[in-house]
Order: sequence, then C-alpha cells, then structure tokens
Amino acid sequence: MTTSGLRILFSVVLLLVLVAVPYVLPALGATFWVNIVSEILIWSLLAASVNLLLGYVGLLSFGQALYFGFGMYGVVLSINTWGVGFWPALAIGVIAASAMAFVTGIFAVRLTWHYFAIITVVFSLIFYFAAMSTKWLTGGDDGLSFTPPPVLSIGSFRLSLADAEVQYYTILVIVMACFALKYLLVNSALGLRFMAVRENDRRAALIGINVYFTRLAAFVLAGALAGVSGALFAFFGRYASASYMFYHVSGEAVVWAIVGGTGSLLGPLAGTGALIVFRELVSTAWEHYLIAVGAITILVVMFMPRGLAGGWDALIQRAATGKAGTSETAGVAEKA
Amino acid sequence: MSAAAPALSISGLTKRFDGLVAVDGLSIDLESGKLNAVIGPNGAGKTTLFNLITGEIPANAGRIMFAGRDIIGLKPHDIVRRGISRTLQIKSVFGGLTVMDNVRIAVLTHERMASPFRSARSLRSAARRTEELIAEVGLSEHSQDLASSLSYGDVALLELALALAAEPKLLLLDEPVCGMGPQETERAVNMIRKLSKRIDVVLIEHDMEVVFDIADYIMVMAQGSVLATGTASEIAANSKVQEAYLGTPEDE
Repeated sequence: MTTSGLRILFSVVLLLVLVAVPYVLPALGATFWVNIVSEILIWSLLAASVNLLLGYVGLLSFGQALYFGFGMYGVVLSINTWGVGFWPALAIGVIAASAMAFVTGIFAVRLTWHYFAIITVVFSLIFYFAAMSTKWLTGGDDGLSFTPPPVLSIGSFRLSLADAEVQYYTILVIVMACFALKYLLVNSALGLRFMAVRENDRRAALIGINVYFTRLAAFVLAGALAGVSGALFAFFGRYASASYMFYHVSGEAVVWAIVGGTGSLLGPLAGTGALIVFRELVSTAWEHYLIAVGAITILVVMFMPRGLAGGWDALIQRAATGKAGTSETAGVAEKA
Repeated sequence: MSAAAPALSISGLTKRFDGLVAVDGLSIDLESGKLNAVIGPNGAGKTTLFNLITGEIPANAGRIMFAGRDIIGLKPHDIVRRGISRTLQIKSVFGGLTVMDNVRIAVLTHERMASPFRSARSLRSAARRTEELIAEVGLSEHSQDLASSLSYGDVALLELALALAAEPKLLLLDEPVCGMGPQETERAVNMIRKLSKRIDVVLIEHDMEVVFDIADYIMVMAQGSVLATGTASEIAANSKVQEAYLGTPEDE
C-alpha cells in the first residue's frame, strides 16, 4: 500500500472511531468519556490555531485565548441580547474573533519571533483585564450563562444540544469541517505562500510575496479557528467566562500544538487528545501532574521534533515503503 | 545617450549607515541589452547598491528609474512585480520544501494566484510553467528533492529559477559563481550568458576571470561611487582601477 493510501485509510478509520464514540463508550460504561472526547475535539481547534501560525507561517503566538474568548462571548452575548439562533450565534462568534485578530494582527505581524510572542501575550492580557473589570458586560470571572437555541428547528422537528448525541455530532461535524478547510488551505496557493514566508521571508519578498499581508491573512484565519473553538466551547459549557481569555489557556494550546506536531494537519488533534486524556487519568490521582506534562513536552521537543503526528507519519511511511525516508509531501502536509 | 532606454538609470543615489557612507551620490545609466558587471574591492558598496535597487533598504537620497518610473520607496515585492528579480550572495531558497514546491510558489505568486481553497498542485498552467523553469536550470532530476538537500551549485540554480519565475526584465545576480567548483562555474556562466540574450543582467562578481569573460560593460565601484566604466579591455588598462585593487605602487 502506498503512503498516501495508508494516510487516507488512517483518516477514514479515525473518522469512524469518532463517529462511533457516543455508542461505544456508553456501552463500555464510560458515558462520561463522551464529553471528554467532545472537549478534545473543541480544544483541538484552538491547538490548530496555534499550529497554523507556528507550523505554517512560523509565528509563535501566546495569545490565541483572546480570540477563543471573543468566540465565546460572540455566541453568548448575541444569544442573550438579540435572541439569535444557533448558526447565526456561531457565525457572530467567529466573525468577532476574526475581526479582533485582524485589528490586533495589524500591529502584531509587523513583528516576528519573541517580539511577536510578547505582543500577542500583551494583547490578550489587555483584553483579559478589560473583560474581568467590565463585569456588567462579561460577567467577569463568574461568566455569563445562557440557554442554547436548537441546532435545527423545522416545524415540530428539533435538534437540541440537551440531547447528548445531538451535541456530540454537532461538535464533531463542525470540528471536522474546520479540519477539512484547513486541509484545503495548507495545500492551496495561499498555503504555499504561508510556507514560503515560514521558510525564508526575505526570499519570499524577493519572489513578489507581500510578507506582511500573508502573515496577516494567516493571523486572521488562525483567529477564526480559535473563534470556532471558543464558540463551540460556549455551547458545550452553556456559558462564557473571561477566565478563558487568560494566557494560561493560550499556553496550554501551544503545548498541545507542539506535542501533537506543528505543521501537521491532524497534529493538534493528536496533541490535545493525548494531553487531555493524560490529564483526566492522572490529575485525580496526582495533583502536580503538570510537572509530567512539562517533562513530556520537553521530551517530545528533544526527541520527536515533528511531534506525535510526525512520529506517526514516520511509522506509516515505514509501513508503506519498508524504510524510513523523507516524505514526498514534506513541503505541504508536514514541516520537515 | 543611447537610442534605447537604459535598463536602469540611477542618479544621486546615497545610503548612509551611522556615519558610514556606503553609497555616495552614485549616478549611472546601465544600458539595455548588455551584460553589465559591477566590480570593486570589498566594502565598495556593491551589495548595498543591489539592496537599494530591490527596495530592501531605504535610500537617503537619489532616484532609480526603471521602466519609466522612480522605484525608490517601493516595497521589495512591488519592485519584483515591476520586473526586477535578484539572487543573493548567500544563496537563498525555501530549504524545507521540495524543488518543485519552491518553484511552484514563485510561479503562483507571479500569476497572482492566492486562492485559499483550490489545490495548488491541480493548477495546470502553473504546473507546466514550474516544470519548464526547473528544466531550464537543469534540475529536473531533483524536482522531488528537498531544497535543503541540494548541493551548493544546485541551490544557486534553484535560486535562479525562483528569480526567473517572476519573468523579470532586469536580473541582478550577486556573486553568482561564488563558492562554486570549476564545473559548476562553467555551467552557471553558460546559463548567465544565455539569459543575458533576453533579459538585462547586472552581476556583482569577484571572480575577475568570469567578469572579463562574459561582461559587455563593467562598472567599477570604490568607496560608494563609480570609479570607472568601460569594456573589459578598457577596465583592465585603467590605472585608477589597478590602484583601487592593488594599491598605489608606493604601498607595495
């Protein structure tokens, strides 16, 4: 079987497993874990947001929680204020996050490396404190709760998030759609421009790429991904809280993205999944489990620079070709 | 003035770095249809001159007329789109991508293609043009290799393909044969000679053998300004040039 054949097979199997979750896990007496899988799916989009910036354009953001927060509040405030439906609320959350990413990106993408990392933290802290102190609007630390509108309502037919299966599949469909769009993006002409900027921004400018606008486009798209993540998390938790805009949340997304593998499409899902499962299993028994997360992160960075997804990909290639080799698609699907 | 418009017309170009004048009121018309070379001792301001022409550093004063327009103040990507491409002294490509993707990005950018949804590989005309360019510089057998795995001479050829993808009217080559072995040098020299038949070429080169062999017209720079201009034989016989390179006889 060819490498790409194995990759497609693996993607199909992964999708089938995810589709089977609400049936299989309760049957195994682990109903609680359905919600953990939902959470993994949602947070993987925040990790994908970091992954897009770090893995494809080479910008390390420690402030993606800001756009996550805007996604959350876009949903909750539009439902509480205007009483909009599920999809318009989701759209408003994503648009709010993207707009915020555009405004902050205008300044942030003038910088690179640690200066970029610092300015993204600064922006997220400014809005974190602003959200914390405008309690009348955001509810501050306590947050705002709301009643989610039905996902679909035709006549007497209703799909409500109160139904656990509807909630799970709604999340699954939206998250998979985001990963599909990201797949198209990183294989497109714009995606190639991102990688050109990541590899060598001087040469990128010298072949006619507007490096600034390319970075800004990536920053806005990453903001949109974080926005979808935040909006879904608001629907999932039935509330929005300013505490999710703290840089701690951004930092966690960076760890998920790096452990999963930057520059790989499904890396964020792998990293988020592995570390959230680890948290669920270990944190109840050991309060200081984050020490182990730190150690895992360091080990991955040292011994698996392409992350879990990169390691998995090497296995697939070995299985397909009988030897480890450089990927024929190293430039597009993964960072070499 | 020659009958044809000059390939590049520079007047009063000045660049200062904290008190050091790297380019000092330089004025020159580079004739179209000729292979122009810029030579001069280290620190003469040759690479700074290229950086000013491509907009990578801002000038303090002066004008650079190209295709009927002053290009001072334009951004590097705008200048590329107007038809000036360059290679760098330290060869510069997209190391983590394949040769094919390197050239494909340059071709798609030249075609103003930036769709976020259509697969870059499915674009037929761009794929054809990409293969043509790779064949033109002789890298077809390496098209699936990572750029970072190429030999130094092949990286230089790939960089040339990237520069050519923009279909430039003027090509600036910064030390194109620097660091190459004799065979690679010969291959590169033949390519430059061929290119200069259809594109205006200006090159900076330290290898005098190469310069005297291929340049139609030589400009000698020293301390940020033009010391002498002329054909190879004129430059070789110029006493001021000999002084700049070898020092005055008293110093010896």
